[in-house]
Amino acid sequence: MIMCGVDMELLERFILAAGRAGAHVVRTLDRTALVDYIARHAEGPILLPNFAVGQRLRLAEALRESGCIVLTEHFRAGAAQASAGITGANFALADTGTVVLDSTDEALRLASTLPRRHFVILDPHKILADGLAAVGPLRVLHRRQSPDFVAFITGPSRTADIERVLTIGVHGPAELHILLLEGISDDPLES
Amino acid sequence: MSRQRSRDYRARIDAALSATRQQGALHRFGDAYLEARQKALEDLDFEALREGIAELKDEVGRHRQQYLDQFIELAEKAGAQVVRAADAEAANDYIVQLARRRGAKLAVKSKSMASEEIGLNQALRTAGVEALETDLGEWIVQLAGQRPSHMVMPAIHMFRDEVAALFGQVTGQAEPADIEHLVAVARQQLRDKFLQADMGISGANLAVAETGALALVTNEGNARLVATLPPVHVVLVGIDKLVPTLEDAMRVLQLLPRSATAQALTSYVSWIRGPVPQEGPAKELHIVLLDNGRSALAEDSDCKDALRCLRCGACANVCPVYQTIGGHVFGHTYVGAIGVVLTAFLDGLEPAAELVKACIGCRACVAICPAKIDLEEIILQLRRRISDQEGLGFGKSLVFRRVLRNRRLFHALLRSAAHLQKPITDSRGSIRHLPLHFSSLTEWRTLPAIADKPLRDLMPAIDDQLSAPRLRVALFAGCATDFVHPQIGLSMVSVLNRCKIAVTMPRGQSCCGIPALYSGDRQTAVELARQNVRELLADDPDAVVTTCPTCTAALRQHFVALLQDDAQYAESARRLAAITYDAAAFIAEQLPDLPAAAHRGTVTYHDSCHLKRGCGVWKEPRQLLDKAGWDLREMDRADRCCGFGGSYSFASHPEISREITKDKVNSILRSGAEAVAVDCPGCLIMLRGALEKRGLPQRVAHTLELISEALEDAGEDTI
Ligand code: SF4
Ligand code: SF4
Repeated sequence: MIMCGVDMELLERFILAAGRAGAHVVRTLDRTALVDYIARHAEGPILLPNFAVGQRLRLAEALRESGCIVLTEHFRAGAAQASAGITGANFALADTGTVVLDSTDEALRLASTLPRRHFVILDPHKILADGLAAVGPLRVLHRRQSPDFVAFITGPSRTADIERVLTIGVHGPAELHILLLEGISDDPLES
Repeated sequence: MSRQRSRDYRARIDAALSATRQQGALHRFGDAYLEARQKALEDLDFEALREGIAELKDEVGRHRQQYLDQFIELAEKAGAQVVRAADAEAANDYIVQLARRRGAKLAVKSKSMASEEIGLNQALRTAGVEALETDLGEWIVQLAGQRPSHMVMPAIHMFRDEVAALFGQVTGQAEPADIEHLVAVARQQLRDKFLQADMGISGANLAVAETGALALVTNEGNARLVATLPPVHVVLVGIDKLVPTLEDAMRVLQLLPRSATAQALTSYVSWIRGPVPQEGPAKELHIVLLDNGRSALAEDSDCKDALRCLRCGACANVCPVYQTIGGHVFGHTYVGAIGVVLTAFLDGLEPAAELVKACIGCRACVAICPAKIDLEEIILQLRRRISDQEGLGFGKSLVFRRVLRNRRLFHALLRSAAHLQKPITDSRGSIRHLPLHFSSLTEWRTLPAIADKPLRDLMPAIDDQLSAPRLRVALFAGCATDFVHPQIGLSMVSVLNRCKIAVTMPRGQSCCGIPALYSGDRQTAVELARQNVRELLADDPDAVVTTCPTCTAALRQHFVALLQDDAQYAESARRLAAITYDAAAFIAEQLPDLPAAAHRGTVTYHDSCHLKRGCGVWKEPRQLLDKAGWDLREMDRADRCCGFGGSYSFASHPEISREITKDKVNSILRSGAEAVAVDCPGCLIMLRGALEKRGLPQRVAHTLELISEALEDAGEDTI
């Protein structure tokens, strides 16, 4: 895979904005560091759906080797015990710190909504400037398949419905970990 | 009927006024919101962005059918079942029938104001289907058997102890009033319901014509579960949520979360096109496109801009009336300014009649609205319609038609009032107490007495002013300056004379007509507009200058609109508008640089609603005060309404007015300044009265008075 350099300005903006939205952004050096990070933070069984980058990194294998319990199917039944879910990201938006995930595949939706922790693997090459820059790839995603379901995810699930006090993790994940790993994908059509 | 209705409404206002904990919460919310919103908009050009939203929404309004057809075609192509519902009944019927066909027992809902609008929960319950709200705030409100008091924060009127008690009833044990714990209880209690539900029901924030996709903008993540877990997903969406393209959708997303919750973006935006596959039975996606009065609104040329609304709730957040009486009283399904307007179109003029009158007209909502809707103007329009329908009430119509339209009679009455009030007036020219049922008017403020001599009797003759004036301007004094505070007019003459400008006060001028217009009596306003246009232009002045921003708005905008179809006056009205200035702005331009002025003390400046948001003038008076040697100490929320609102504070809603004034007085005190400058005789009446009544020493003066004093003290030859 030939990739040009990461746009550092966009990357910095993304890290800042995602942090402001309450996400943990971690720059991981390689596959080992990434797997190690997840293993240390998952705190229980992990929902691992099938996605390109996960395959490429042979995540299931690596996580199991580090002692994690990994579920790769029957997520509805498994969700109650699962403590974390892992997905990739199609691309990301710098100005709001958003990760964009085509989650038409139900397994991706369940892994990113049901457990308390959501780990997102993102190649920093795929960071775009803002929502308007996302229109192009979003259009392509829509055209590629129908029906489809695309999620913009910015920070953890939150509410301020009781006395306006910001509280994290009401229905969705309470923790959003964005793991930056260079050189695994530059294609916004895959996650 | 309208009598009884008014009495009922008044009782609800009284009840809301005694809910002081709610008021405190809404005030803190409003303040925190403004600060956070400003931060969220820091690097953006808000005016340009909201102009863009207005344009794209208007484009949809003009070609509604085309975009609707396009959306339906593409959504259906993606596999959704789309139905158009003309009204609430049609929408409820479709959803209830669907629930029956699928044998649904439990429907989980994520927040949908449209479903509140049509009473969907009730319709489902009647059919034996439990509709469970899963948005935390909505769930709380549902458990309490209430309705949301805010579009974005449904339970903003409730407190943690009340929530704990409600949750305790669900769990069957005492729940501590700890917010984190309560949120965890909600997660736990509702999670199983998502998994058991037969049906998910949500609203949508956007329907994109270009793709046939719906976008759901949420924070909690419940909408994602509602859309994903049950086998059937129903989206109930108003046809006003259509946008042409994905770019347009992104434009809306730039301002919607920033305006709603001061977030750059909410936690989740889900773009849903068609029924996405899932484990188990084939997924169904039903889209119910709700009209329910929206097409009628689109056809209403005076009010159609309201369809641009993004439902961000900002207009409520900043509204002093909302902050004082809350969304249950200042709203119906929807609350705040947009609630007033939508109530009229969705529920009818009758349920909207009292809401329309409860607006004080401060235009805070207009300034904040990300869809650039002139909400106050639409509310005024509705007020006119209601008074056309119900009449003004005997007293008001007598005053407007018989007295206000007849200048001589009106002015004669004011002069005789000056004599009659003598026994109740104190040495400062204030009325501290009034007898009998008028007493409530002076319980919390003094009232200014009518001056012994009106300004029209005190004006120095033009020949006595200057030998060779550069310019000759006509003063439009307005009733308050003419008959209550003539000193303001005299100050203006003295300041303008320093600028080598002579001032006349055309005698035939009368009330600007705004009180009649705001009460819904358009005909009297037209009559007065004609009189004033004629009289003010008679001597062909170089400019017309006013000391009251409400009058400025009348001369600059309302007269033009009122007389636009008047063959004789339309042109003159436009000419008058073009040469009319507010005093502060005019003087700031005409007054040459002054030598360093002596220090005169500390002053805080109160922005009058109509000057800042009506005329866009707020820098100029501050510059003038600074030039004149005053040390400016900004108060917090300087541009929040003072509570005056003309007859609002005397006749229609003094009880709300009083609370709004109290907030302003507290801001003034916190500023620590010795004096308060204002540029509106109405604000002057209100603030001077409130400070006097509390025995506070701060002086309240018109900016012109402070400038004129400074110039006088500086001596003759400073200019
Ligand atoms: S004009 Fe002022 S009082 Fe009236 S709705 Fe708007 S914000 Fe509220
Ligand atoms: S009218 Fe404007 S401010 Fe009010 S909810 Fe709608 S978009 Fe927001």
